[in-house]
Parts: sequence; structure tokens; C-alpha cells
Amino acid sequence: MEILDAIRANLLSPAVLFFALGLIAALVKSDLKFPEPLYVGLTIYLLIAIGFKGGVAVSQAGLAEVWLPALAAMALGALIPLWTYPLLRYGGKLSAVDSAAIAAHYGSVSAVTFIAATNYLKAINQPFESYSTAFLAVMESPAILIGVILGKLATKQAGEGSVASLKQAMHEAIFGRSIFLLVGALVVGALCGDAGMKKVEPFFVTPFQGVLALFLLEMGIVAGRRLGDLRKVGPFLLAFGIIVPLINGALGVYLGKLTGLELGGATLLGVLSASASYIAAPAAIRISLPDANPTLYLTSSLAITFPFNITLGIPIYLELARKLYSSP
Amino acid sequence: MTTHAMKLVTIVCEAYAKAAVTKLLRDVGAHGYTLFTVEGEGSRGRRDADIPEFTNIQIEVIVPLEVAKVMLTRLEHEFFSCYGMVAFTADVQVLRANKF
Repeated sequence: MEILDAIRANLLSPAVLFFALGLIAALVKSDLKFPEPLYVGLTIYLLIAIGFKGGVAVSQAGLAEVWLPALAAMALGALIPLWTYPLLRYGGKLSAVDSAAIAAHYGSVSAVTFIAATNYLKAINQPFESYSTAFLAVMESPAILIGVILGKLATKQAGEGSVASLKQAMHEAIFGRSIFLLVGALVVGALCGDAGMKKVEPFFVTPFQGVLALFLLEMGIVAGRRLGDLRKVGPFLLAFGIIVPLINGALGVYLGKLTGLELGGATLLGVLSASASYIAAPAAIRISLPDANPTLYLTSSLAITFPFNITLGIPIYLELARKLYSSP
Repeated sequence: MTTHAMKLVTIVCEAYAKAAVTKLLRDVGAHGYTLFTVEGEGSRGRRDADIPEFTNIQIEVIVPLEVAKVMLTRLEHEFFSCYGMVAFTADVQVLRANKF
């Protein structure tokens, strides 16, 4: 079975094993804990490293090659909340504002899931378009905007106050730390090109794997601490957190092929569509839709979808891409 | 040394409420505040302060009695239903009343 081999290759990578170690640390109530500034520091490192590398790749490939799949990525980000919202609202019988909040999280993306996927592709020698980081950058905000608008419309909070909080959400979605750093580093990388890459390579490329392992250890602890909340979210969201990423992942892979990406790039677009945000979206949603219950959206994106994607999801999306690209 | 009676208002809330709460403080006429990151446990579960999504902040602000009343009333009506938050007051004596 190819898919089982692909999953085994992913599970035995240092990053995923350290994630598991973090989960165990939380489950056995070890006193292992990262200070918050370290978590923030590691996030900054990872976002700059991946953004810079992506920017250099964009400068090499040229915008002519990048714009069409990037546009598709953006459209996917905007469309995912539109189909997940009615599913949550009428299928899951969740309140309108909770449905909108969760839909925004699933349309938006998780940078760490993307990074873990590029890592995996590299480990199994599957080539991919390095400029895919640009898709990560353009997919983060549109879904948050759509989600907030859905939430506002559904709760009929019209008037000045809602325009102000929409502005706040947009500010958070565009200038929030994760998206700001990522886009900033992309631009810097694109301006520097290969010559700049040579200068920062020893810092941003060589130690990258180790830093990612460290970060995933912390993410394991964080996700593990929320496992107790799974009981609060109910069976619908549990199933939602696994099945919806599979559907979105398939959509992403398919759209990747349609817009001319290679197998690796289409896999990454699948991973991005499947992933759910837990940095940019919660910050924007908490501020603009404060009535939405954070336990629901944080638990489903952080304790269900994130662990699923980095263990099983990524190899599954790769296999989907392989099937699609091998068929005539 | 002359001291003046003031109210110390302490607000413990989730970090995401920071922008909204500090805006409220300015709106009701507070001249400044002190803010720090804290962790703890309450009716909405544990707040470990390990990542910003699960961090609490504590805001301390000293204001005249009338300002404290308006502040607490607005907190009660506009914040308590949607944010994890507790707020309480205490009597304090300050120097330089014009600073508050």
C-alpha cells in the first residue's frame, strides 16, 4: 500500500515525532512548558525563513508563472467559508456567529502545517515549487474577511459599530503578526534574490529543521492541553475537523493541477486548503465577533484539524495528487 | 504629605480584549493604566498563558470614584457577556491627585 508507506514516512520524521512527544508531555501532565516569548520567537523565525525562501523562489520563477495559481489559492480561501458556513449552521445546528467563526478558520490557513508539508516533500525527495509560500501569504486574509462579514450579516449587527469592528478585523487580518511577517519576508526575499539567500542561508536554512522540531514539540504540548475540550465540542465538530479538510484538500490539489502546478505544488495547495488557521484567524475573530465561542473554533482547528493534517493529512493529499497526476 | 482618596480598578481578562478594554479606559477618562500578562484559572477553564490565544492580562487603573462607576457599569454591560473577565475595585490613597 503506497498510502501506508507515505504515512509511515511522515510519522517517522523528527518534526512529527517531537509533536507526538509534546502531546504525551501534556497528557501525562509533565511540567514541561515553553515560555510564551520563546513560542513567539520560534514563530517569527519560521515565518521569516519560509517567507524569505518563498520570495527568492518568486524572483526566480517570475510573477508570470505565479499569479494564476496564486489567484486560485485566494479564490479557494474565499470560497471555503461560503460552503462550510451552511454546513455548520444547518448540518451542525451551530449558532450563526459560531458557524461564521469556524468557517473563517477553515478558509484561512496554518503556516506550520504548510511548513511541515514542505519538510515532508523534501524528506521524500518530491520536488515542489518553492514559490508556493506566496499561496500561503494570499490565502490567510480573504477567508477571515468573508467569515467576519458572514457573522455580521447573520447576527444583523448593522450600523457604525459593525463597520468599525470590520475595519479592526481587516487590520488584524492584514497587519497581524503572522501575515505581516510572512508577506514582508516574501518581499524582502524577492528583492534580494539568490545573492541575498547566500548571505542568510546558514541562519535561515541550515538550522530550520531543528527549529521546526522544537516548535512542533511546543505545538504538541499546546494541542495536548486542549484535548480535554474535545468533549465540549461534540461529535459533529470532531467529524467536521477531519472530513472537511479532506474535501478541501482534494479541491486544492485539483485546482492546483488546473492552474498548471506540478505535483508537489498541487499537494501544497491541497495542504493549504485543508489546513485551518490558529494564529491569524483567532486574533481577528475574537476582536470582530466576540460573541462566537472560542472553545469551538480553537479546539477544532488546534486540537483536531492541526494534528490530523500533520500526521495523516499531508501524506493523504500527496497520494491524492499522485493519483490525479498519474491519470491521463 | 497629602494623600487623596481614589479607586483602584483591577481588570483580569483574556489578552484579546486588550484593545477594546484600553479604548474603554480612555473613553471614560482614565489618564493611564498598568498592564501585565498573567495566568490562572476560572469559570471558563485554565488560562496557561503558553500562547497568546490562552493568555490573560491584568490591567490596573486608578481613577476618581465617578469614573470608576462609569467604567464598571460599561464593563458589565458591554464586556462580561462575551469576554472572559473579572473586575473589582479597592480604595487607595494617592499622592498628586491631578495625575489620575
